[in-house]
Formats: sequence, C-alpha cells, structure tokens
Amino acid sequence: MSLLEFIRNSLVNLDLSSTLKYVGEALKHNVSIIDVINSLADGMKLIGKKYEENEYFIADLIAAVEIFNESMNILKPKILEKKETKLIGKVVIGTVEGDIHDVGKNLVKILLEVNGFEVVDLGVDVSVERFVEAVKRYKPDIVGMSALLTSTMMNMRNTIEMLEREGLRDNVKIVIGGAPATQQFAESIGADAYGENAFKAVEICKNLLKK
Amino acid sequence: MKSRERLLTALRHEEADRIPIDLGSTDVTGMNCLVYKGFRKLLNLPDKPIRPMVTSGSDPSLFTFYNMVAEVEREVLDILHIDVISINRTLEPTLSAKKLSKAFINGGWRIVEFGFKQWYWREWDLTIEIPDYIDVIEGEGRYIASLGGREHAIAPKKSFYFNSRRFSTPLKNAKDVNDIKDFNWDFYKISDIVLEDLKRRAEYLYKSTDYGLIYFRIGSIHAWPQDLRGWSQWLADLRLRRALAEAVLDHVMDVVMYNTRKIVDALGHYVQVLGLADDLGTEEIPQISVQVFRDIYKHRYEEIFTYIKKYSKAYTFLHSDGAIYPLIRELINTGLDILNPIQISARGMEAERLKKEFGEELTFWGGGVDTQHILPFRKEEEIVEHVKKLIKIFAPGGGYVFAPVHNIQPNTPPENIAAVFKTAYYYGKYPILDMESKVL
Repeated sequence: MSLLEFIRNSLVNLDLSSTLKYVGEALKHNVSIIDVINSLADGMKLIGKKYEENEYFIADLIAAVEIFNESMNILKPKILEKKETKLIGKVVIGTVEGDIHDVGKNLVKILLEVNGFEVVDLGVDVSVERFVEAVKRYKPDIVGMSALLTSTMMNMRNTIEMLEREGLRDNVKIVIGGAPATQQFAESIGADAYGENAFKAVEICKNLLKK
Repeated sequence: MKSRERLLTALRHEEADRIPIDLGSTDVTGMNCLVYKGFRKLLNLPDKPIRPMVTSGSDPSLFTFYNMVAEVEREVLDILHIDVISINRTLEPTLSAKKLSKAFINGGWRIVEFGFKQWYWREWDLTIEIPDYIDVIEGEGRYIASLGGREHAIAPKKSFYFNSRRFSTPLKNAKDVNDIKDFNWDFYKISDIVLEDLKRRAEYLYKSTDYGLIYFRIGSIHAWPQDLRGWSQWLADLRLRRALAEAVLDHVMDVVMYNTRKIVDALGHYVQVLGLADDLGTEEIPQISVQVFRDIYKHRYEEIFTYIKKYSKAYTFLHSDGAIYPLIRELINTGLDILNPIQISARGMEAERLKKEFGEELTFWGGGVDTQHILPFRKEEEIVEHVKKLIKIFAPGGGYVFAPVHNIQPNTPPENIAAVFKTAYYYGKYPILDMESKVL
C-alpha cells in the first residue's frame, strides 16, 4: 500500500495517531500536498458512505472531522506556500436568527470544504439582514441556512423573501437543512433544495453548480 | 378513576378508563410560555404573567427556567384533564410558591429561598415571572440573565429561550485524568436542605391531591458529559480518547448515583415516576453505535435503574430525543420502564413498529402529536385525525401516557393545541378501537 492509501485508510478507521503519523511522513518524503489532501477527502467520502449505510454514527463522523482537521493543521503552512487548491464554488452558510445550534451546520461546512468549496461561515443567530449583506459582499453561488428549532425555521422564509425584495434571489441557489426542515417545507418557502444530512447537502451543492 | 390510579394502571400495561394525559409535568412535555399565553386567551382566562418552570435539583435550578416552558395552572390542568404533575411545582396545587435553589450571591454559592418577580420580553409582548435571585439585563441584540452579577445565560432578542452558560463546557480543555479529577464534582451533588424541601412538597401533593407525581432530571450520563466537554468533542472522546471518557464517566456516575440514592430515599415513596434525561439520537440515526452504547453506557444505566427499582416502587423514565430505535432494546434490558418523547418523525421511529416490537415491555410517554412538522402547520381537522391515529396505535393494552412529542413551540395556533387535548381526552377512552361512537 502507498503512503496515500495508508493516510486514507487510517482516517477511515478513525485512527488519529496513525493518520497524523502518515501525513507527517508524506510531508517528509515530499509527497504532493494536493495528493495528501485528496486522500483525506477520499477517506471522508468513504466515511460518508459508511454513515449512509448505518455502519458509522454521528460520533464516528465527528471523530473523523477531528482527525481531518488535525491533519489539515499539519498541512496548512504548506498549502499557503503552494496555493495548489482549486475551488469549485462559494457557499455562504449560517444558522438562522434566534437559533444558536451549529453542530449540523459545522459538519456541512467542513464537508463542503473537503469537497473543494470556499465556505463563508456567518455563524449562528444570523439575521435576515446579515444573510443579505453577505450575499452582496461575497457573491456566493449558494446560500445554506440551518435551524434546529421549528420556531426559528420560519426565518428561512423571511431570508428568501428579503433576497427576493432586494433583487438578489436569482443570483444564488438556496439550500436549507436542520432537524425540523423537510423537502416539503423547502418547496413551500421557495428554497432550491433540502439536504437531509451533511453528505446529501454536499451532493446537492455540487449538483446545483451544474445547473 | 382518579388520575394517579389511571397513571399506575397504564404503567402496569393495563387499560384504565382512558389514557392518562400529561402536559407540563416535565420541561420536555410542556408548552412554551409565549404559546401558553395565547392558549390561556383561547380558554378565556384573564391575561396574566406566565411563570416558566423552575426545577430544583442538583443544578442552580435555572436550566429549566431558561427553556421557557410554562408551569401549567390548576385551571388549565382541569380543563385539559391532565393526570400527572411535577413535585417541583410552584403554582397551585403546591405546598409553597417559594422554593430553594443553589444561587451565586455575594461572591459565593449558597442555598437561597426564592420567589418570583416580573420581567417583560418586549419583542413578544410577554410578561414572565422570573426567579427573584436573577436579573435580566438588556444587552446589544440580546438579553442577559445575570446571577450575582455574573452572566449566566443569554437570549438573542428574537429567540424564545435563554441559552445557559451551562454550555460553556468547563472541561473542554482537560487533557488527562488529573484535569478531570480536579473539577468541582461535589458542586453537582444535591444538598440535604433542597432535598428536604422536595420531600415535603412531594408528601403534600401525594396526600392532598390525586395526581400522578413525577420527579424529572435525576441526572444524565451522556448529555451531561456533552455539556462539560462540548457536544461534538464528547462524541469524539468516545471514539478517540476512551481513557479520558471513562475517567469523566466515573466522576459523572459518582455524582449521579449520589443524587439517585438521595432522591430515591427522599421521594421514592411519593412519586410514581423517576426520570432521567439524555439525548442519544439525531433526526436520522443515534449519535453512537449500539456497540459504543454497550461498552460505555449500558452497565451505567443498569446501575441507576436497578437502584431505583430496588429501593422504590417508582417506574424508571428516560427522555431521549431523536432516532434511537437501535438502542431501545438495549435500554429495556437495562431496566427502563418508560421512554419519552417518542419522536415519531425521526427515522425508524414509526409508531406502529415501536408499539409492535416494544409495546409489551415499554411504556410510551409522548408520541401523541408531531410538534415539529404537524402541530404548528396543519388545520384543526388534520390534527384531530393525526392524534386519533396515534392513539389507536399506542393506547391498546395500556403502556401509554399521552403527551406531545416534546414541547409545544411558538407560532403554534392555540386552536390546534385545544384540538390535541380534546382528541386525547375523548378518543383516549377505552376501548380505544371503538372510535366511531365517540364524539368531540
């Protein structure tokens, strides 16, 4: 097995120390940074598959994200040197006003980044106005909104309406997610798509870019 | 049949005269204060300040207050035919509107007796009664609940809840077993004075009312470490740092068992239900695998439930949101009697399946109406049909206590709530399957 396969497999096996060890070795042996990142990204995709097949659970997913982040911390200084990363699209993401829950939103964010998106994270309790400001300022391809609470989910509708009033709606695709959200709700408020979990959300974003 | 007997009959998995009904016996089976205000108006009750629940226990009591779940008054209990109440109540029926709590005052933690004062939430035109030992201060874009001059919780102004500093994750940076050991675990042990007060309250309600009685929030063994370490980090701990996780859990169990012993000894004679709260699910899958559950939690739940059953007649109750189907069999095997809230919309939590597979061993407490997707949004007629269908599934043979799936949220039309409880009362009469002869 190559070093890159070791990196991918130890991530998939959720083995923190081995993954970091192999990433370190790869750097020492001047393996291309982009190849290392791609192996980690492949690992995350395999983990996503295991999650979809109910073999892995949220705890496993979160452990994987931690290993991925630690690996990226080792790689980051080198990435800046080489500027090798190619971005495929830009997403503005946030948890809507009145809601401070961000576990799901953060998972979507990291998986989008793994898949080559640039992500502008507005954080939690993001007002309608801040979403609109961010669309003007960052000109994203996609806006992602999250909510945990049935009561705050309505702010997704308000944000879409405000984007319409400002004439910005057609410039972006809108994806929503979070515990109370459903496909039906997404359609009813005029969102472009609903992501029922973090992996689906990434697939949806990729497909939306093709449209 | 009296309410307490009705509850006990259901918990014995027998059919009473009708299904017992809960609203507000816990802070996870209630109604948000803002909705409660609107609901009272629908019932033609005079406008007045709404009091959120404040549950005394091992905490500084404020966690449940921050959730802004209304205490249900006697009038509303009567109108809705509610059968079960918390011994923590401060509204009638209760021994006293004054309560005891651990509070940070004059630079230190001490036990205080507290009453309530009014605070106006301008954005919602809602006057709330808050414990008089805290202050709510207006900040930039948010309200701050201050305890002894220290920020204790915040609420974005257009939120419906406060978010407690409980989530400040004090053990986030713990690196090894020593960091864990040095934490002030004793702080979370219930004090004898608070316990004595709870016992008097429970005894009063037991002797002077016919309600079923519950004490909820004995402790948590999954959600609490998640608060201490951070929601995500704890899950990663379970996978990546097992030794550290075990060390945390040994301390957690020490506290939870201390509190369990004290509470069972003080209240076990009076309450019919003793409840724990742990969220093990998400919308589509449990947070942890069955294997992690078996390795980490199973023997610990067993220790708690075994003590409760050995030293009291109380039934064991666990609140866990979400899709937890793969864990239910495991939980039953640890000695769990009652599961709440039965989040029927979560993946794998279909009512028919749960009743069929676990109905003979487990009491379902909840699952009566989907508060996330249906109750706030559908027409009254649809709500009635939805509730009827669920009662038909859950109620036969007993082992069912009616309650909505978790708390009723803001923006829910009061008429819909009335429809829910009317349906539960009229269509919850046994025999259940004889629906056609019943009228609302």
